[in-house]
Amino acid sequence: MANLLNDPVIQSSVAPFFAALIVGGAMLPLRLAGLGVAAGFLATVYLVGNFAFSPLTAMRKIVVLGMGAALIGVLAGLAFRPTRSTGLVLGAIFGAASIWVFWSVLAQKPVPEALLYGVGTAALVVWLVAFTVSLHADPVRAGAAGLALGLGSGVAAVLGASALIGQYGLGLGAACGAFLLLVMILGRRVAAGTVLTLTASVLGALLGAGALLLAQLPWTSLAALASIPVLVRLPLGANSPAWVQAIVASIYGLAGAGAACFFAWLASRSSAG
Amino acid sequence: MKGLTLGLAMLCVPLGAAASPDTYEFDRYHTYVHFAVDHLGMSTIWGRFDAVSGKFTLDTQAKRGGVELRVETASINTGDNERGSRARSRDEHLRNADFFNVLEFPQMTYKSSTVKFSGDAPATVQGQLMLLGVTRPLSLTIDRWNCGLHPFNKKEMCGGNASGSIKRSDFGMKYALPAVGDEVKLFVEFEGYKQ
Amino acid sequence: MRKIVVGALILAMPLAAAAEAETFAFDPPHTFPHFALDYAGYATIYGRFDKTAGRFTIDRAAKTAALELAVETVSVTTGDNERGSRARTRDEHLRTADFFNVAEFPRMTYKSTNVKFNGEDPAEIEGQLTLLGVTRPLTLKVDRWVCKVHPFYKKFGCGGNASGVLKRSEFGMKIFLPVLGDEVRITIMFLGMKQ
Repeated sequence: MANLLNDPVIQSSVAPFFAALIVGGAMLPLRLAGLGVAAGFLATVYLVGNFAFSPLTAMRKIVVLGMGAALIGVLAGLAFRPTRSTGLVLGAIFGAASIWVFWSVLAQKPVPEALLYGVGTAALVVWLVAFTVSLHADPVRAGAAGLALGLGSGVAAVLGASALIGQYGLGLGAACGAFLLLVMILGRRVAAGTVLTLTASVLGALLGAGALLLAQLPWTSLAALASIPVLVRLPLGANSPAWVQAIVASIYGLAGAGAACFFAWLASRSSAG
Repeated sequence: MKGLTLGLAMLCVPLGAAASPDTYEFDRYHTYVHFAVDHLGMSTIWGRFDAVSGKFTLDTQAKRGGVELRVETASINTGDNERGSRARSRDEHLRNADFFNVLEFPQMTYKSSTVKFSGDAPATVQGQLMLLGVTRPLSLTIDRWNCGLHPFNKKEMCGGNASGSIKRSDFGMKYALPAVGDEVKLFVEFEGYKQ
Repeated sequence: MRKIVVGALILAMPLAAAAEAETFAFDPPHTFPHFALDYAGYATIYGRFDKTAGRFTIDRAAKTAALELAVETVSVTTGDNERGSRARTRDEHLRTADFFNVAEFPRMTYKSTNVKFNGEDPAEIEGQLTLLGVTRPLTLKVDRWVCKVHPFYKKFGCGGNASGVLKRSEFGMKIFLPVLGDEVRITIMFLGMKQ
């Protein structure tokens, strides 16, 4: 069993999937099935062995912010009904926080470069959070967006030279996949809420930005990731059962994820390294 | 009838045992030739050749094997490759006619003549090194050897380390003797995939 | 009057003794930290950092010494720097957050806390290595130490080798354990020129 849990493939797929399924299933009556995503992601982080907080590297700050997103998502979901501007406000908060996450890298760059990367990262976070949190009432689209963000950032990160960021991204994708499975089985009454949408979008955005700043992901991949919450808004066939809609939405989202991977692969071809 | 079958079966046995040797190709991303040489009696310089290719054959039943290694001399790398205020870096110097003369001799090759086994594993390799157009005997000791499945891609492989030493003056590389040592210790890290 | 002179001499003595401390700067083209670790039980793989900067002071009369070495993590090199058909080279991978995370931690530093002497020569260095933001003790054994006037630089210098072992997991570098070894053997070849 221990050997199995040491396997990086298990760490990024089976383990987070089942952790998310169990926690998400348990939280269903509280309408907090989206918490499963945080549980699944944490399972990957724990198994990969990076569960320490000193020194607080950028990757560890990503985990901290992801958990903060889950907490705020739960509180926001319980406290009030999300309005149209909720996504934008949360996006601004986490966009600013993303500067904190990558400060150690940004501080070492010359000022014009630091500004460019800092503003770009924050903009990506604001965009992804705003466009994903606004899907809070649509568990099919929200789940599909999370799945695509996770898988897209994960595979693209691997192509951009980092296995660690890749594992985190794939773990996020697997956890969102478990949520989507619950939706497919139980239908649209499984609530996504702010907890799912905020956690998935914050983590997806930060992992993508991390792969660019700490490894070699090209910015074009991040642009492709940004298209995911827009793509899942395409028509799903209003009269189809939830599980069919989930598949269609996933296909839309994964097209964006596929583009992110394609750009990462292209970039690895062109430069000689 | 039984005798005939038995006779035929016995004829087949030696054919079964005479399995052809396995050929392995060195993985260029995990095979490097390193060297260590004394510098002025004050420090040791370690260097490496980054581009190494070749193959080896292994017949563990007959306890026979062979190896052929090709090293691109221009891939020499001792870490000193930025000139700064100097006329040239050390690596540039090593590539010119004072040392490895890479334009005239782009490759250095090693071909084995005999491989001695210890059990199932090769233990020493006797062969010839050709460097700067001069061929001299070179014996390598296999310090580490292991065969199995690669942990990530699951392909059959053998990997290990080998070491030996040469006198560079034997090959005509006499520049800067004795300031830069004559004895050059070689150590190889290698991995090869079964073809 | 005599008391004043004697008193002044006694006061001057520690100053004179302190004047025995010599400072040396590590010479970059001849100072390289090398590392070796186990690859999946098959072979020992080697690597090196090409860019270092630092100094050491040594007082042979008082038998004290101190050193400080900063290593640019981006200069890690293992020979694998051409992609071929792969998405990235090993050296590129080593620079990402999976290993040395050079974007966040561009420097790795070693500071001595205590140096033990064997006669007039340093024999063992106790110190702290800061890698990936984590500081842990690292003891280096001085395997070789030679001091003399450098024939080319025409200045006094001390050079040699020092070695030690560390566990990369202690610094948070846990990827691919245990397939890629935890124990990393460090060997530093160095040359310091007197300032």
